[in-house]
Amino acid sequence: MEPDNDIALDILITNVVCVFKTRCHLNLRKIALEGTNVIYKRDVGKVLMKLRKPRITATIWSSGKIICTGATSEEDAKTGARRLARLLQKLGFQVKFAGYKIVNVLAVCTMPFEIRLPEFTKRNRPIASYEPELHPAASYRVKALKATLQIFSTGSITITAPSIQCVATAVEQTYPLIFESRKMIK
Amino acid sequence: MPGRCPECGSSEVVEDSHYSQDHLVCTECGFLLTEGLLTTTRSEETFSQGTPAPFFIRVPAVRKAVRYSESTAEVKKPCRNQIQGQKRVHDLCRILRVRPVVEDTASELYLKAYEHQSFLHVTLEKKEALVGCCVHISCRQHNWPLTLSTICSLLHVEPTLFSTVYQHLLKELRLDIPTLSLLDLVKTHCDGFNLFQNSASIPSQFLENKDKVVERAMQLVELASETWLVTGRHPVPIITAAAYLAWQSLFPGHRLKCSLGKFCKLAGVRQPPPASQRVKEMLDILVTLASQLAWLVPQQLDAKTVVKYTDDILRHRTLLLRQTLSFASTENTNGHIDPSEGTETSGEAEAGNSSGEMVPSVVEHLGDVSRRKRTMPIFLPPCLKQRKWKKACPEAETTLHTEPTTGEEEISDSEIEQYLRTPEEVAAFKSARAIL
Repeated sequence: MEPDNDIALDILITNVVCVFKTRCHLNLRKIALEGTNVIYKRDVGKVLMKLRKPRITATIWSSGKIICTGATSEEDAKTGARRLARLLQKLGFQVKFAGYKIVNVLAVCTMPFEIRLPEFTKRNRPIASYEPELHPAASYRVKALKATLQIFSTGSITITAPSIQCVATAVEQTYPLIFESRKMIK
Repeated sequence: MPGRCPECGSSEVVEDSHYSQDHLVCTECGFLLTEGLLTTTRSEETFSQGTPAPFFIRVPAVRKAVRYSESTAEVKKPCRNQIQGQKRVHDLCRILRVRPVVEDTASELYLKAYEHQSFLHVTLEKKEALVGCCVHISCRQHNWPLTLSTICSLLHVEPTLFSTVYQHLLKELRLDIPTLSLLDLVKTHCDGFNLFQNSASIPSQFLENKDKVVERAMQLVELASETWLVTGRHPVPIITAAAYLAWQSLFPGHRLKCSLGKFCKLAGVRQPPPASQRVKEMLDILVTLASQLAWLVPQQLDAKTVVKYTDDILRHRTLLLRQTLSFASTENTNGHIDPSEGTETSGEAEAGNSSGEMVPSVVEHLGDVSRRKRTMPIFLPPCLKQRKWKKACPEAETTLHTEPTTGEEEISDSEIEQYLRTPEEVAAFKSARAIL
């Protein structure tokens, strides 16, 4: 099994986090009173609102900054953010959909082989770090892509990056390194 | 106006400043009448306050105390917390009885870390954790086996706080430390057991020679690392489990009835919660390997009896592992061919032979066995063996059939109104809140 053979790896996106600004002050009490599916956290000064379709959770601050989490694609994240902005508009706020940006994408990929983590860490030190007392996975950071990969011995990999393209590129770049440390029959 | 120039007698004397130093200078001949003070000390200010000061000496009206961190003194003395931290580093190294070079490295590392911007203004609790981190990193750099949990327990620091400071320190100082060697840790961990010394509380049949236990425990740990029981897991429960099985196997007659909890109590150590699970996993591996030894096959060993034959299994472990893994791989490759062979032979048997009625069922049975074995490869990480394949999420299934979204679709009012309360609901909510 050579790393150059074409192997299709399924990368499953589990979470997309995006932010946007409404460019106006938001009255959190009014949102909590007139909105449904809302949790008002008065002590920290934010409101959590959950939408059903797409299934996202929005954190709303009175400054107008909103963070949406839980989407499974970039398109769903944008749809959810727009729905939220429209909802706030319906509540009577002069909302603008400004500064929309995807800040984080979390994806999971499974390799078709098990990985020897101590060997992988030794080959890729100091970029890779593995502390079994703290976390069962080895951590590998790709600075150029701002991506972090958590590599488990079962072959499962969790990738955190600023965009889906970065996730795919990170997996492509890291696959040969992981392949070298796969389980071999002695 | 200041007076005349003593050199040329001119009255054109002006107040000037050269950088931050005030001067009285004659514009005719350039004679410097007086110059102001660049810096002041407390004694000079006290003196100058007592006597009428010339107007060009600028004395600050209110003297502010200079913070230690903003002081510009050339040789700064270490602050009280730093001195205390250095003492803690030395004390910790002495308690752990590390080599002097480890102590020196820890001390230098602490000095460097303390003066780093990221750690200079943190809480005292974090500085205490920093002491432990520096000692731990120094031990790892000099291959001195020491676990994070040992340091946490000695310093009484929360493990979560300790791990945060530890990872932050590695990142800020860009330190590269080697991986902890599990085999070295076995020896130091077993040193803490009380079962190797004569004691009134320990029955004679439980006493054991430390070197034998350590040697056998190291072999068991090596076997565990080859069979995926070590990767990604905390090392201490594995070492405790290996030490327990090693101790049991050296005198199984009296020790088989002793449980893991009792063993830890006799040894005077705390039983780590995952240790019992590790014991079960190691016993399963031993049973699997024992099935390859010809003289043990008739014994039909199980998890309770395999401990007696640990010595034989460990002596031949390399060969047994290789044999078991290669047997598993040939089963996997043969499993692809067997079903088709089975169907062919069954077809031929039905065509020709009257006794062929038995053959298809035997071939089918073999095919079933090989198919079953193909789906259960040996020596996988335990979580993979226990994994239950989750059903596909019904939402995901429905999204597969819907059109792909672009994020720019129209949003209808009805979709939004489901998230808004009607005026009646708002009024009801307000009244309910008022009651509460």
